Amino acid sequence: MYFPYFITYMAVGFVISLVVFLWAIKNGQFKDQKRARFLPLEDELEPSVAKVSTFKRYEVYTLLFLALAGLAASGAVLVFSLLNANI
Amino acid sequence: MTTNATSALPTYMTAKGFCLTSGFWMMVATFMGLLGATELIAPDLTENIGWLVFGRVRPIHVNLVLFGFVTPGLLSSAFYYVPRLLRTELYSEKLGVITVLAWNFALVTVVVSLAMGYSQGREYAEMIWPIDMLIVLAFTLVFINLIMTVAQRKEPILYVSVWYVCAGIVLTAVTFSLGNVIWKPNSGSLVGIPDAILLWFYGHNVFGLLLTPLSAGVAYYVIPRACRAPLYSHTLSLFGFWSLLVVYTHIGTHHLLQVPVPTWLKVISIVDSVAMVIPVMAFLINIWYTAKGKLGEIHADIGAKFVFTGTIMYFFVSIQGSMMALPDVQRVTHFNNWVVAHAHVGVLGFAGMISLGGLYYILPRITGKPLYSRFLADFQYWLILIGVIGFTVVLTIVGLIQGNAWLNGETVYRILPEMHVYYVTRASIGLIIFSSAILGLYNILRSIFFNPGEIS
Ligand code: HEM
Repeated sequence: MYFPYFITYMAVGFVISLVVFLWAIKNGQFKDQKRARFLPLEDELEPSVAKVSTFKRYEVYTLLFLALAGLAASGAVLVFSLLNANI
Repeated sequence: MTTNATSALPTYMTAKGFCLTSGFWMMVATFMGLLGATELIAPDLTENIGWLVFGRVRPIHVNLVLFGFVTPGLLSSAFYYVPRLLRTELYSEKLGVITVLAWNFALVTVVVSLAMGYSQGREYAEMIWPIDMLIVLAFTLVFINLIMTVAQRKEPILYVSVWYVCAGIVLTAVTFSLGNVIWKPNSGSLVGIPDAILLWFYGHNVFGLLLTPLSAGVAYYVIPRACRAPLYSHTLSLFGFWSLLVVYTHIGTHHLLQVPVPTWLKVISIVDSVAMVIPVMAFLINIWYTAKGKLGEIHADIGAKFVFTGTIMYFFVSIQGSMMALPDVQRVTHFNNWVVAHAHVGVLGFAGMISLGGLYYILPRITGKPLYSRFLADFQYWLILIGVIGFTVVLTIVGLIQGNAWLNGETVYRILPEMHVYYVTRASIGLIIFSSAILGLYNILRSIFFNPGEIS
């Protein structure tokens, strides 16, 4: 019998989430979202260590190639599995 | 926060402690992985050495990667950014140091007990009861420190990273206890199928409710800072956070689609696995739009470079995961190395990369000196990137060979010779990752202890 554990867990999880969510609304956590975007930056920022815009081209191309290859492989296996599925 | 008597600056002892923990255990964990991979090509290698047989090496590898390398790395960043985002000090640096010590003690007991054969034989929940309790204690200590820091905050709004890290820690403490059935100390399990359901409910949450939120928290902090640009949308990030809680919490049964569990559970898990695209894309769109046009800045900061690459891996692992939850796809991909490939993209490519990224981002800030060697970190980046892609390609091929063979009723042993060459390649890639871990540990040690760099 696993239902009692599951129901207890789900109930506890649901109640905690709901309480926290309601607290967040009451506490104004969903207000002032424009300012919230800047929170990580409000700390003092170090001077830029960057020689900016030197993002080397070959790295972009390599990453792009890896991304496309991964996507293509994933797509291919999806098609392959669906074609071979004995539905 | 504990302060330096002379400078009154934060000491960041906890963040440093977790950095060292992560660097050290990454080395041990990847060595165990390499050993396991070698045993798969040379099964007699550790013949008659009971504590080094594959069945013991594998759980040591897996648990050390999760709880020794990735989680502490992500926590080291959290202990740095949570107080800063809340414009306050860490509640207790002393408690933090105690947590680091307890955490490492727990890890040592994990290694020793598993090597001695004390295992409950349930994946990700192998550890025996006393160690389970130590781990729950360690998570509880982390939570107390973070939640008290939230309580004493001077910034009223909780930035999304704070939401993620706090939720990740609470949810893990709870699901870990449940998944390890801690109310049954002797067996640590229920009986039969219900046990499998409970176990996978927890097992999935290790990735979904621990590694993912902690990694998201780091990315949401590091990327805007490295780009010197505000987050694209904080509302979207909160939407992603709450939808992750709704969707991710009950998809564990997608690990059991081939098992006679109730259909309604399978349906929920499949539907929500596909729905995962919502929190995933909410996160990625936000991060990528924040970084739009700023790739130069990302490239210039080694920490951000790791983190950004991790987000690309997250895209892959999630899209792949949603597809793997489709029963027809899983008929081919389940029970073979395809899943191992997916696991490595997720844990090393996504969470591991972001963990290292966060670590390299904060190291100069917690030591007040530049990173010992940017070159070594860059080198490690490329080794890991090549390693992850290599694992993915090789293991995916092996998985397809196995999946198809078994689907066609082929006998298992007949395809072993076909797999051998891939297993050799896989072990070589393991060597690359292990070497990168040694470089990483050296870089971390030199950055913290013997750093010749100018104090900034
Ligand atoms: C949308 C997100 C994701 C979905 C829908 C998903 C789906 C899945 C599915 C269906 C499996 C079981 C495959 C099988 O046994 O046939 C699986 C396994 C696994 N996933 Fe994911 N995944 C997702 C993201 C992630 C992430 C982000 C990580 C790591 C941080 C990860 C790590 C793993 C691991 C380690 C396993 C192997 C579990 C085992 O059998 O030991 N996944 N995933």
